[in-house]
This record gives sequence, C-alpha cells and structure tokens, in this order.
Amino acid sequence: MLTAALWLMNSASEFPGAPAVPVASGLPANGVYRCANGRIEFTSKAPLEIIEAKSDRMQGVIDPSNQAFAWLVEVISFEGFNSPLQREHFNENYVETGRYPRATFTGKIIEQIDFGQDGSYAVRAKGKLNIHGTEQERIIKGRLEKKGRKLYISASFTVPLTDHNITIPKIVHQKIAEEIVVIVNAELTYGQ
Amino acid sequence: MSKQLVYAFFLLLAARTGWGQMPFFRPKSINELGAAQMTTLFQDRMGWIWFGGNGGLFRYDGLEFQSVDLPDTLANDPVTSLMEIEGRLWVGFQSGAIGNLPVNTAFLTAAKDPEENPRSSYILQQWLPEEGTPKFPITGFCSDTSGGLWIATYGEGLYCWKKNRLYQYSVDDGLSGADIYAIACDGQGRIWAATDAGVSICAMPAPGVKSIIRLGTADGLPDEIVSTLLADRRGNIWIGMYDKGLCQYDIRRQAFAYFTPDWPFGQVTGMVFFGSTEIWAATAQHGPIRLVVNNKTHSVSGVYPLQESHVLRHEKIQAMLKDREGLLWVLGHQGDVFSANSRIGLLNIPEDDVQAVCVDQKSARVWIGTPKGLFALENGQRRSILPGLQNILSLWQTPDGQLWAGTFGNGVFVLNSAGKVVRHFSEGDGLTNGSVLSITGDANRVWLATLGGVTEMRLQDFHIKTYIRELGTGYVYKVLADTKGRVWFGTDGDGLVVLENGVFRHFNQAAGQVLKTIYCITEDQRGDIWFSTDKSGLFRFDGASFRQYTVKDHLHSHGINGLSVDGNGYIVLAYEDGVDILTPETGHVAFFDAASGAPAAEANFNSLCRDAEGNVWIGARRGVLRIAAYDEAFVYDPEPNITSVSVFLQPLDFLSKTNFPHDQNYFLFNFTGLWYTNPDLVRYRYRLEGSDHDWVISKEHFASYPNLAPGNYTFFLQASEHGAFEGTPVATYSFTIRPPYWTRWWFIALCLAAAAGALYYFIHARETRFHREATLRRESVESQFAALKSQINPHFLFNSFNTLITIIEENPAIAVAYVEHLSDFYRSIMVYREKDLISLSEEMELVRNFDFLLKKRYEDSFRLNGGVNGHPGYIMPLTLQMLVENAVKHNIISRSKPLTVDIFTEPDGYIVVRNNKQRKIKPEPSTHFGLQSLVNRYTLLGARPVIVEETEDYFTVKVPIISRNEE
Repeated sequence: MLTAALWLMNSASEFPGAPAVPVASGLPANGVYRCANGRIEFTSKAPLEIIEAKSDRMQGVIDPSNQAFAWLVEVISFEGFNSPLQREHFNENYVETGRYPRATFTGKIIEQIDFGQDGSYAVRAKGKLNIHGTEQERIIKGRLEKKGRKLYISASFTVPLTDHNITIPKIVHQKIAEEIVVIVNAELTYGQ
Repeated sequence: MSKQLVYAFFLLLAARTGWGQMPFFRPKSINELGAAQMTTLFQDRMGWIWFGGNGGLFRYDGLEFQSVDLPDTLANDPVTSLMEIEGRLWVGFQSGAIGNLPVNTAFLTAAKDPEENPRSSYILQQWLPEEGTPKFPITGFCSDTSGGLWIATYGEGLYCWKKNRLYQYSVDDGLSGADIYAIACDGQGRIWAATDAGVSICAMPAPGVKSIIRLGTADGLPDEIVSTLLADRRGNIWIGMYDKGLCQYDIRRQAFAYFTPDWPFGQVTGMVFFGSTEIWAATAQHGPIRLVVNNKTHSVSGVYPLQESHVLRHEKIQAMLKDREGLLWVLGHQGDVFSANSRIGLLNIPEDDVQAVCVDQKSARVWIGTPKGLFALENGQRRSILPGLQNILSLWQTPDGQLWAGTFGNGVFVLNSAGKVVRHFSEGDGLTNGSVLSITGDANRVWLATLGGVTEMRLQDFHIKTYIRELGTGYVYKVLADTKGRVWFGTDGDGLVVLENGVFRHFNQAAGQVLKTIYCITEDQRGDIWFSTDKSGLFRFDGASFRQYTVKDHLHSHGINGLSVDGNGYIVLAYEDGVDILTPETGHVAFFDAASGAPAAEANFNSLCRDAEGNVWIGARRGVLRIAAYDEAFVYDPEPNITSVSVFLQPLDFLSKTNFPHDQNYFLFNFTGLWYTNPDLVRYRYRLEGSDHDWVISKEHFASYPNLAPGNYTFFLQASEHGAFEGTPVATYSFTIRPPYWTRWWFIALCLAAAAGALYYFIHARETRFHREATLRRESVESQFAALKSQINPHFLFNSFNTLITIIEENPAIAVAYVEHLSDFYRSIMVYREKDLISLSEEMELVRNFDFLLKKRYEDSFRLNGGVNGHPGYIMPLTLQMLVENAVKHNIISRSKPLTVDIFTEPDGYIVVRNNKQRKIKPEPSTHFGLQSLVNRYTLLGARPVIVEETEDYFTVKVPIISRNEE
C-alpha cells in the first residue's frame, strides 16, 4: 500500500512527461508490476447523445508483496468525444482538468492472489477513487491474469457524477449520463 | 407505556433467582428432507419458519418442508444465513453469494395430490451489485436505522450497502478481524461485529465515511473471541463468547455487565430472550442453557443447563430461534430440530408427589409440600424443613413472610422465614379439623379450610373463630381471600359461599346451573372471581352475573384440578394431563400437553401458587410445573395463510392476479394454519363469499370450487387448534370472475345500437333508392322529352329540309338516302327513348345517321372521327348524339374553321367525345339542360361520374361505359 502510494506521489510530481519511473528508495527489493500505457475508456449514454473517450496513457503499479495497487491517468489525455468543442467542455467545465489534472485509484486487492503462479482470477479491488479532486471509496470488480512476468487486468465499473462533485447544467442532462461507464485494460510487467 | 410500566415493575423487584425448571424439548421429524442438513433457521413476520443448510432453502409450516428453487449456480451452495429486511428474506451462502425473495411470496405450488409432489417454482433472486459479492461465507445480515444493509462474512470482514454502493470494512480499516461470527444492530443504529479479537462497532455516518470502535479485553470484555451477538429491547448488546459465557454491554453506560464468570459450557453459539429476565444460550458443547438475569443488579442470577441425561445435554447447537408462539427451537449439529414450549417448564423432583407449592415472596426459595414432608428448594439444593414426615396438603405465606403449612390430620404449622417452626395448631388448639385443605388470608387474618369447617385466626394473637353451620357443610375444599376484603369458600355440596362484611351469602345457582361442589377459586386482575366445579366446568362471576365455560367453550375437560391467574392476566387451568391457558377478554383457550410441547406432569388437586413475578406454579405427581408469565406477548392462535390459489389446478400468482375471465372458474385454494405448537390439531373454517352461505369446517388444507358463476368472491379463512374460530385472525383473498362478454351491458347495448343502425340504414337506403329511381325516371322522361323536342325542333327540321331541297335537284339518289337516314334517325329516337340503356354500337349507329345528315349540310366543314369498334358496353340512349349535337350547336362551323368531333373509347372504360373548341361569338341560346341532365342521369344510375373537361383548344366529355352486370 505504502509502496504504491509513494509511487503515485512520485509519478504525480513528474507529470507531464514520459512514463513515470518510481524512485528506487520507495520500493522493496522484490519488485513490482508496472504499466505505463493502459487503456481506459469511458462512455456516457444519455438519451440524446452517446459520448465516448479513451486514453492509452493510464499508468499503474501492483505490488505483489502486499497486493497494493495504484493507478493514475492524466485526464487531459482522454481523446475521442463527438467534437473538439465537447472535449474542451469536458476538460474545462466538467472535470476541470486544470485544477484536477489526474484521476487516481489506490488501494488493495481483496482476494489473495498467488503471484508465484500463472492463473486467472476474478478479483475485487478496494480502494480510493479520486476524480475531480473528490475521493470515494470503491470496490471494483475485475479480472486479473498472470502470465509469466506479465499481469493483465481488466475491469468495468460505473462512476456517478455526483460522487465526484461533477455538476452538469440542467440543460445538458439529456446529453450527458449521470453515471459514466468506465472500462480499463492494462498489461503490467514485472520489474524492479 | 405499558411496556415501560412492565419494565419499571421488574426493575423495582429484586429479580427472583431462577429455578431449574426445564421445558420439554421434542424432536421434529425432518425425515422427508433426506440428506438436507439444516444449519440455520429463521421466522419471518408472516409466521413462516425458514430453514437453510446443505440442501438449500426450505419453508416449513410445521408439517412439511417446501423447498425454494435456487438459481443453478447456487443449487449446491449451502445456505449459511437468513434474515428478513423490508419484506424480503435475505439469504447468504457458503460461497459468499447472496440472494433474496419476498417473504409474502406466492409459492406456486401445484395442487396437493398423492401422485404430485408439492413443488415450488418460486426462484430466489441472486443479488449482484456492481462491486461483486464476497468470496467467503455470509454469516449475517443486518439493517441499520438509516437504510443501510450490512453483510457479515467469515473471511472478508463487513460490507455495507448504502445508496447503491457497496463498502467494505476490513482489517485495514480498523476492523478487529476478517472473520465475523455474527452481527447485530444496537439502539443507536450501529452495527456490532463479533470477531476473534473482540467486537467492532461500525457505523457509516455519511456515505463512504467509516467509523469503527473496537472493544476488547482491555475494555472489560471477558473473552476476545466473540461468537454471537443479540440486541435486547433496550438496544443494548448481549455478547456470547467462546470461553467465558456471555455478558451485556450497556450502550448508555458504556460498560459491560451480566457476566458469567463460572462458565464450563464452552462456546456460546446463539441467544434468545424470553421476557426481560430469561435468556437461552445455545452452546457448542452442552446444548441449550437457560439463564435468569437480575435487571436491578445487572447480573446473571442463575445458569441452568439441561439435566445430565437429556438428549441435548451434550449437543452442539448450531442455531436457536424463539418463534411467535413462544417456542424455543434448536438445531443440533446433525441438523436435528427440536422445539420446546419455554413458557411451561418442569422442576423435576421425581421422588416427590407435590401436593402444595409456595414460592417465597422475599427470598429465592420454593416451598414444596409432599406426603413425605415439607421441603425448601434453594440454590439448586433440596432441604427438608419440618420435623417428622408430615403429609403437607396446603401452603400459604403471610405478607410478612411467615409460612403456614397445612397437613393431613395434624393441623397447621407456622414457620418463620428461615424455615423454623414457630407455632403449631391442631384440633386440640381449636381447629375445626386437623386436615387443612386450603389456606388463605391477608395482613391481619388467616383462613383455614378443613375437612370439618373453616377456621379464622387473627395473626396478631392467634385468636380462633370457627364456621361450620354457616357454610352448610363441613367439607370445604378451597378458601380465598380476595382483594376486595371478601372471603370465598368452595364447599362440597353447598355451592359457592362468600363472606362479605360479616355476612355469609350462598350461591347455589349460576348461569342456569345448580352449584354443588366447588373445587377451586381464583381472582383475576379485574377482580372477577373464577371457580371450578366437580362436573359442570368453570364459572366466572363479575359481581353481578355468572358465565359458564365448558368443553363446548373448548375447555380441555371438566376435570379441573387447579385454577390460578398469571401475572399477565391469563387464567391457568391445571389438569392431570395438561394445562389450559384461557384469555379472559376473548374466552380463547389454548391447551398444552405433551403433544404440544408441555412436560407431562399430572397436576395435583388445588396445588397452585403464583409468585411475585406472576409465574404460576403447579404441584404435580412428577414435580412442579411452572407457567412463566413473561413480560412479552405471544401468539395464541394459529396464523391462517393462503398458500396457493389454482385455477383448473394450475397455480397462479394470486397475490397480484384477482380478475378472471368467465371460463377460468374452477378454483382450488390451498392453505395452512401456522401453529407450530401442535400443527396436527389445526382445523380450518372457510367460506367463499358469493358462493358459500355458511362456513365450512374442515381438517383438510384445501378447498375447491368448480364451476363458479361470474361475480365477486372473497375467500375467508380462519384456523384454530381446537375449533374455536371466533375472534381468530382471518386470511382473505378477493377475486372477480368476469361475466362472458355477451352478457355484459356494453355488449348488449352495442348489439342493440348495431341493430338499430342496420335498420335505419336499411330504411334509409330503401328510401334513397326509391327517391333515386323516381328522380331517374323523371330525368329520363325529361331528357327524352328534351331530345324529342330538340329533334322535332323546327330549326332542325328546317335545316334538314333545306339541305334536302338542295340535294333533291342535284342528286335524287342521295336525297333518297338522306331521307332514309333522317327517317332512320327519327325511328331510332322513337325506339331507344323508352330504354334505359342501349349498346354502344346501337348508339353509334344513331350517331352515324346523325353524322350523315350533318355531313350533307356542312360538307367538309364538319368531321366526325372514330368509333367504338364493337365495344361490348352500354350507354344511355342519345348520349353521344346529344354531345355531337351540342358541339355543332355551340361552335363555329365553316370551311376555314372546320369542326372536328372525335369519338373514341379509353381503356379505363370511358367513351370520350371531344371537339376542337371554336366558340360562336354570339352564343346560341341554351337551356344548358342537355349536358347537366346527362351528368345527373349518370349519377342517379350510380355509375362513375361523367367528366367534363374544357381546355383552351378542346371541349371533352367522358361518359362511362356501362357493362351489363354493372347495371
């Protein structure tokens, strides 16, 4: 848990820039699983409009020694949307990227995983989800697969806008869903 | 309010030390479940008891188990916990899966048939939040006061479902352990979780905000391993531990109390309360254990395990339940089910035949009078009291604690509160007789009923007064000093006698019955006097009139051995083979014997007393029965439940469907009366309002109604364990069978309207037809007339003759032909004018004659082209002729401007007459009659309309060709 949190602090300070490299001092000798280009997609399904956006720059780390994890994505890196103007609104009006540049999820995997062996697990990750500067404790159900030195994770969950103080003007309620569906997929590699 | 009074009452009293009386645990036959092993049980608000275990989930009605269909994924998943929350039964599984189903569920049970097994088709719904469900066994559910659902797991800590979000309370969050044995909700809405490291008190003051307070040995908890929890009525939490028995945590004082320091019985696996002073603890090694608590000193005053020889004494109890009837249910480790009526316990003193019993009002002692002497039961010990082997028949304690013990033949002994004899009165001392059958009294006097009259003694100086003659007989079975200062005597042969204000009054008649031998007398909480007789049952006297209760009023029998009133106001009647409990307000009687969970005891004659807490004690040949007066209400009637409604044997979801078409009229009702005390006794009374005129009383669990007529119906169902249905709960099901649509008013009205409409239409059409025919005839006549008129018009003749004159000289042959054509033309007109229709070729022939005449007159200035080429159609006579004539009449015809008339048929069935338009400057005077008449006649004929088109260059008239069948 501590490792992951430290990593997050470090990588946060390095942004914007290339994939973060955790400081060696914060890490145990036995190494962690890391990812710098995870995919995160979200969909807003409102009666009048479907908005989709994704980013391939989700970063994360899982520490097998204590099952702690930390994930981070620069909100500005989301691309897609139905128009450049919509993307601008998203960044400036709704998630306020300038003030809250990062979305993070840190915590611990509830299920006991044997990282020594290859296998596929249905897991639940319990942690703090921080979007728009507002933190919520969440349990997120997903799948974790270990293959050699790689971990593959995937998950799908919903984010209610009200949970993160993201307010939508009444006029656009028909165009933006109150609950956003998020899908993440990432490949993590073991290393020091 | 009344509850508070009861509490106040109990707090004021020093709670009695309990006695070791034990209820009668009966095994339940659960053979039909085969391999299904139960591990948990629960009673819902509707009264159903649910069992869960290895074999799944079952609903039990006291007679049979009905299984709930589980989703395939849960089919082999053991049920580990059950709880009702907001009308739904929540079910937790070994795998961590969670499901629920509505408690008020319509089990779609097929009609009970020998060949057909009852089968449920109600499927439990799996609960699948987005966050997923735990992977470890679910050990409990709880709802807090603010809409949160709490789920305990054995391995993953606690979960809270709030506002559609699942939160986990783990060891990382400060929970004292991940393995939760049990949860409970305290009076402040907080959730207590029992773990291996004490308890954690959890709350969620705001969504996502977790608050955890831990209590452990450092806080005064006797044992860190807490295995069960139970909230009491005041919202305090009782804690069952692994090694140290149980204790209570007072949430206001924030302190532990009610310890059980000496606890050799092992892990506590469950707890239930009976009233506010009795607790049953289930243990993992020594069966169920009864505890009595003192709420004034906040301590446990007695711990009573079952007898060493009892079948449950060394049983591991998996789960325990108190049902609404006051039955205590325990689940043994093999899934064996036992139930006991905890209200009725037996103090087992096998070698004694208890003829009199008296509970010391001030100290924890029971006095027992037997043929072998007087004994005191104290701290589980039996102590012999009286010197010599006195045969004790009666006992009574004065308000200041003196015990009076009446013997058979040896008068009465007076003992002080320590059990020491202070006085002895025998016949020699002035007693009317040495055999004292009954003793009563107040603060100043004592009354002794003997086999030789009644002795009254002043307590102050033991001054004796005797009554024999006043009572009519020497044999007096019972004497009772009531709360109004009256003394009642039950005599042998001379009825009921009362001494009021120094005057004796005899009652030899009551409610139309002759009163002779009176055995027992008691006074209820209203001051009414109840007394039993040797042969005519029970009587109640309210000061003005008597009411009799007999077996017809569902008394068990007339062999009443004893009568008392418990602290809750119920009348207790003791028989050799059981106990009746009568509710004075309703007259309802419930009988308890070995078959309904009461110990078999054989009550002795007039051997009853009531203790300070209102419990009734009954001396019997096999010990002492205690009827507990818990400060808690139980259900005394079977709960009627309609379990399924079938139409043509097809079960339906009757909770939502109440309206049926007329051919869905064979109804079958299945029902049950939940009376776990003795389900075999339950009888039903039902009536289908709208069909039955009277109640039907039946033992069967179903009622069928084939061929119900359309109408509104209500099925009323009552259940009773002994046939007294008045005032018992009623279950109802109302439904409607719609009449067939052809008998509905709207259908009849619609039919009438349709018939009226049809009649109107018919008359109207007929009139229209007549009218049209008349018009057609008139038009036709007019047209013929007009045609004739125009043809005989002198102008036409003049023109024709002029033409003729010119031809005659030049070409006599052509002149002859001309005259022939003219004559043909006139003849045709004469022939055709009578007809409605002529063939196109006939008309065309006529037009050609006309054309011949015109050609001769205009020569090349007039051209008529086209024809009909043998078209088989028909047309009104003179139509085309008239149109050609019109063309000639209205247009300039000259060599420079020849007039051309084209006649041709069109594929769509029209014949067209078209001419090039060259209007005369001065129009020919015209009546406009010709064309208009043509249009009208075709309209009246019902043919397609005549189309008149006028353009710059052409004037066109299209006339429909009529085929014969169209006519």
